[in-house]
Amino acid sequence: MDSASIYYLGVTLFLFIVFAAIVARTYRKAHRAKGEEPKFRMMDDDQPKKHDHPET
Amino acid sequence: MNQQDGYADDIVKGFIIWSMVWGLVAVLVGVFISFQIAFPQLNFPPYLTYGRLRPIHTNAGIFGWGIGSFMAFFIYITQRLTRTSLWSPALAKAQLWLFNVVIALAAVTLAMGMNRSKEYAELEWPVASLVVVLWVIFAVNIVMTIVKRREEQMYISLWYILATLVGVAVLYLVNNASIPVSLTKSYSAYAGANDANVQWWYGHNAVAMVLTTPPLAIFYYFLPKATGVPIYSHRMGVVAFWSLIFMYLWTGAHHLLWAPVPDWVQTLAMGFSVMLIAPSWAAVFNGYFSMNGQWHQMRENYLVKFLIFGITFYGMQTLQGPSQSIRTFSAFIHFTDWVPGHVHMGTLGWVSLVLFAAIYYTVPRLYHTEVYSIPMANMHFWLVLTGQLIFSITMWIAGVQQAAMLNATNPDGSLHYSFIETMAELYPYWYMRAAGGVIYLAGLLLFLYNIYKTITVGKAQAAVQPA
Ligand code: HEM
Repeated sequence: MDSASIYYLGVTLFLFIVFAAIVARTYRKAHRAKGEEPKFRMMDDDQPKKHDHPET
Repeated sequence: MNQQDGYADDIVKGFIIWSMVWGLVAVLVGVFISFQIAFPQLNFPPYLTYGRLRPIHTNAGIFGWGIGSFMAFFIYITQRLTRTSLWSPALAKAQLWLFNVVIALAAVTLAMGMNRSKEYAELEWPVASLVVVLWVIFAVNIVMTIVKRREEQMYISLWYILATLVGVAVLYLVNNASIPVSLTKSYSAYAGANDANVQWWYGHNAVAMVLTTPPLAIFYYFLPKATGVPIYSHRMGVVAFWSLIFMYLWTGAHHLLWAPVPDWVQTLAMGFSVMLIAPSWAAVFNGYFSMNGQWHQMRENYLVKFLIFGITFYGMQTLQGPSQSIRTFSAFIHFTDWVPGHVHMGTLGWVSLVLFAAIYYTVPRLYHTEVYSIPMANMHFWLVLTGQLIFSITMWIAGVQQAAMLNATNPDGSLHYSFIETMAELYPYWYMRAAGGVIYLAGLLLFLYNIYKTITVGKAQAAVQPA
């Protein structure tokens, strides 16, 4: 294996770690309600929102 | 802008209509070239030969029908999921014009034989440069709409939309890098095996970023809308999204198994292709589990039928694909008619079924009316399903027979069949494929008529209503 191949595999490994972190974050217990919230919200999108603030 | 709902929907109508026009062109040319294979005397040089028409078919299908309707639904979905109107309707209007100019130029230049000889990246540099401008306009408009969104957390479809915008941009720029020698001719910036590797990194990620992520965005949006029930798990959708993005990038070399690219690159592609089953099937199961308690809708709701059959074909496609990526299996089916069988289960089954559902859902709403005929939509469903199945199944059988004949050897190791003998055996399958294509075309014509009538009835109703 030359240095290019090791680099290629290194990038793969790095991306895998990033991916594992995303999975851990998404499935955190504390994140459960927040993580599922968009699927309920999208059911009602007939009109644009009047206000610009996400919390309103 | 259609101010009634506060969303810029007129432009969505334009993209839907034009994508259907290009979809019809793609299928008409597809049916014609299937007859050209079955009856070679139907080739009329120089313009109406299989070699010139095939890329017109694929470009009209993937870019005209596919990208055209993705543009429509990205604009439609993004506005709704961000609960805000499109950043610039004027820019979107310019985009629609440019889109049609590009597709028309693609058809003309390909008919004239101008071709970079790279599959799905055939367009010569002047047209390819216009594609880049088109994509930048599109991406800026969608990204800016997302930036000014009025909802904090993004629904899964928006992730797929963003991935498409970024992914296509990177792939297209890298694989189209070339050195122009005249207005109509250029040479790839890469050479030999490197060129092949870049081409199939692009080619397979075109499958990912054009034939997978956009229909998934559309599926995740329209399934809950059609059933009236939210998707099963949003978090599963997010994890499947990131794993899909992580894995797809490495799989391109499965198109080059046994070719002179480094062995470990092939093995890596093979491994990641097999791993791709997981995120793909996570989406399939998310769809199926969303139907818990709702399966009766398969009988009662024609939209659900299109969507669930669509995701089922996606599931089958993503089992077949990884199998094809394994060296031994690839050695058997590569260079055979098996591959168009695989391709068309994806394009006619998965992608188009989801798009049909999305069009049936949106057009009546955009024109404030009902769909013209549900029985006609059901008929459309059965015709396209039958046509596609005849096509795909016939090609798989043809591919296996062809592979067996190509691999047959005599005791002394010489080939048992000459190449032409293997070809001659395929004629019955080619007749069947052409017949399947005609059935599919009949279904498509019914669909177009249904949508045309829905629009005209909607317009007539709007005209008699007091302002
Ligand atoms: C897990 C997912 C998938 C994998 C691993 C996969 C794998 C493959 C492989 C190995 C080939 C090359 C066959 C050969 O020539 O030997 C191929 C071809 C192709 N696949 Fe898939 N596939 C997948 C999903 C899909 C999907 C969802 C579509 C959507 C339509 C699709 C469309 C295509 C197309 C258009 C080609 C033809 C490329 C050409 O022109 O040679 N694939 N696929």
